[in-house]
Amino acid sequence: MSVRTLFIGMDGATFTVLDDLTRAANGGEPVMPFLSRVFAEGTRAKLRSTPNPLTPPAWVSLMTGRGPGHHGVYDFIRAEERGDEVYFTLYDSRDCRVETIWSMASRQGKRVCALNFPFTAPPPSELNGFIVPGFIPWRHLRRNSYPDDIYERLKSIPEFDPQELAWDFEREKQSGDELSDEDRESWVRYHLPRERQWFKVAQYIMHEEQPDLMAVLFDGVDKLQHQAWPYVDPNLQHGELSGFHQRMRELSLSYYRQLDGFIEQLVTAAGPNVQVFFASDHGFTASTEVVRINAYLAEKGYVHFRELPEGDAGKRRDNSYFAFLDWNKTIAYCRTPSCNGITIRVARKPGETGIDPKDYDKVRNRLIRDLEDLKDPQTGERIITEIYTREEVFPGSAMGDAPDLQMVLRDFGFVSVRNIQPVVQKRNYVIGTHHPDGVFMAWGPGIEAGKVLGKRHITDVTSTLLYSLGLPVPSDLEGKVPTAMFTAEYQAKHPLKIGEPTRSGDKGDRGETMDDEEKQQLMAQLQMLGYME
Amino acid sequence: MSSLKKNTPIDTVIAVAGDITQDWGLDPGMKLGPETLLAADLEFTSIDIIQFCVALDQAYGRRFGFQDLLMKEGSYIGDVSLGQFADFIDSRLQAQGAPA
Repeated sequence: MSVRTLFIGMDGATFTVLDDLTRAANGGEPVMPFLSRVFAEGTRAKLRSTPNPLTPPAWVSLMTGRGPGHHGVYDFIRAEERGDEVYFTLYDSRDCRVETIWSMASRQGKRVCALNFPFTAPPPSELNGFIVPGFIPWRHLRRNSYPDDIYERLKSIPEFDPQELAWDFEREKQSGDELSDEDRESWVRYHLPRERQWFKVAQYIMHEEQPDLMAVLFDGVDKLQHQAWPYVDPNLQHGELSGFHQRMRELSLSYYRQLDGFIEQLVTAAGPNVQVFFASDHGFTASTEVVRINAYLAEKGYVHFRELPEGDAGKRRDNSYFAFLDWNKTIAYCRTPSCNGITIRVARKPGETGIDPKDYDKVRNRLIRDLEDLKDPQTGERIITEIYTREEVFPGSAMGDAPDLQMVLRDFGFVSVRNIQPVVQKRNYVIGTHHPDGVFMAWGPGIEAGKVLGKRHITDVTSTLLYSLGLPVPSDLEGKVPTAMFTAEYQAKHPLKIGEPTRSGDKGDRGETMDDEEKQQLMAQLQMLGYME
Repeated sequence: MSSLKKNTPIDTVIAVAGDITQDWGLDPGMKLGPETLLAADLEFTSIDIIQFCVALDQAYGRRFGFQDLLMKEGSYIGDVSLGQFADFIDSRLQAQGAPA
């Protein structure tokens, strides 16, 4: 038995950078020679992300073949409106309302392995394979890995270090901050050993277990690009470059060089018959300005900020990830910097805070006009270039949890929810932010060589991996198999089959069927997150 | 996690806490008991508390509403002991007539 399908996730990978790093520079070898070979011998396409191109909704869409309107994961933070209070907690795998590819493949007899993927914790109670989750602090990695003994087994890997491998919440909060030069360099260096740890784990499981579907996510691409974008974007490598810039570029390139080597070793270890797929959850671009959306909504009368407590508590609150608002007066607001959405507060019963339900359309239309009116005073250009209603971009049974409006900023940046003026401010230096177009690549037997396809959608990845595994594609998946990625001969031997719909398992439609006990549990989590602050 | 469920809530809570913290590098001489405090003794942060509650839910295969334990009159309590968790679980189980 050998690995049939190898999936390599590269969080935030973009052709803007990869095209540059796969080209031979100054007559020498490319920074990523193996990926250069994949480009030449495989097929690739841009991959359109979810409406908010963010890790949680995008990776969950990639893993389920469904949009956020169906799977229900919109952000890192989940919130519940409770009249004069709003509670926040973290999303986890139990919040995903639809079946994942790990489950689809597993229940059809395929052995799977998922390493470092977000929202795979807590793991399912039954799986034919292995999960070591991403985005989990090291102190909880063992308990959230599947099966029970896998964590102990990983300790046999030379130099295995769970603290180096796992997510450090405090450190990751820096990704969107403006850091000193020293801290930025330290940030990039921090991600080099992390990727090596995940590579070693992947190598170990491939060698020991040979799963049919082997999947590993390298998330350092995203983390590095947030802080090191000025040093990796080929469009920003002109003119006189400082010594620090050159040192940071070389350090960043060493990350990609190392990643290329890991990929080559994994592909080689998988054997000559493996089909390899690569995808990112979104692309990357430059963010040049800060947009303080709640400060703008306050000017327009939608948001009322709460006064910060004195001392350290106030400082912690001001630096926290959530909007700190007067819920008795606020009628529309942005919850978190990552959501890029606006939530309208609708009163569920008379006397409760929020707008009257019958005023919803009127308020939302006025809000859209006000958001359109936020313009660059110098050029007259709109700061928010696209504004979508949730019916437009999040259709599905989980739409009720979506923001009422989804925004796209002119530089694709993420908003700030803090109470600071001015509303729009140029950044002191360019940072990386998420672009909606990521990457999708395939390589191996049966894959067309040297082909570039038109843009695909992130939900296509699940369908494609199932097809590669020889499994039918469930009829209710939104994603389609890009058949042009595969040779005619391969398609003739492996005709595409559309099969039974996915299974919802025991999750159901949480928004409509949650009983009191479940609500109590949810509230406990929400309130405990407040405890964090 | 289901194997961590013991005959009594306090034994289960201690087993879950012991399982979670087994490789945290805490004082190996520390004995977990009803008086053990999550933050002061076991160095729990808020994320650890969330994970602890999830682990207890998983041990019992049900969902408890731990906010009633962790919040008093709208404020978060400063710290909480394993015994308080056990008492809370016991009260919830008894209220629903379920075996501990």
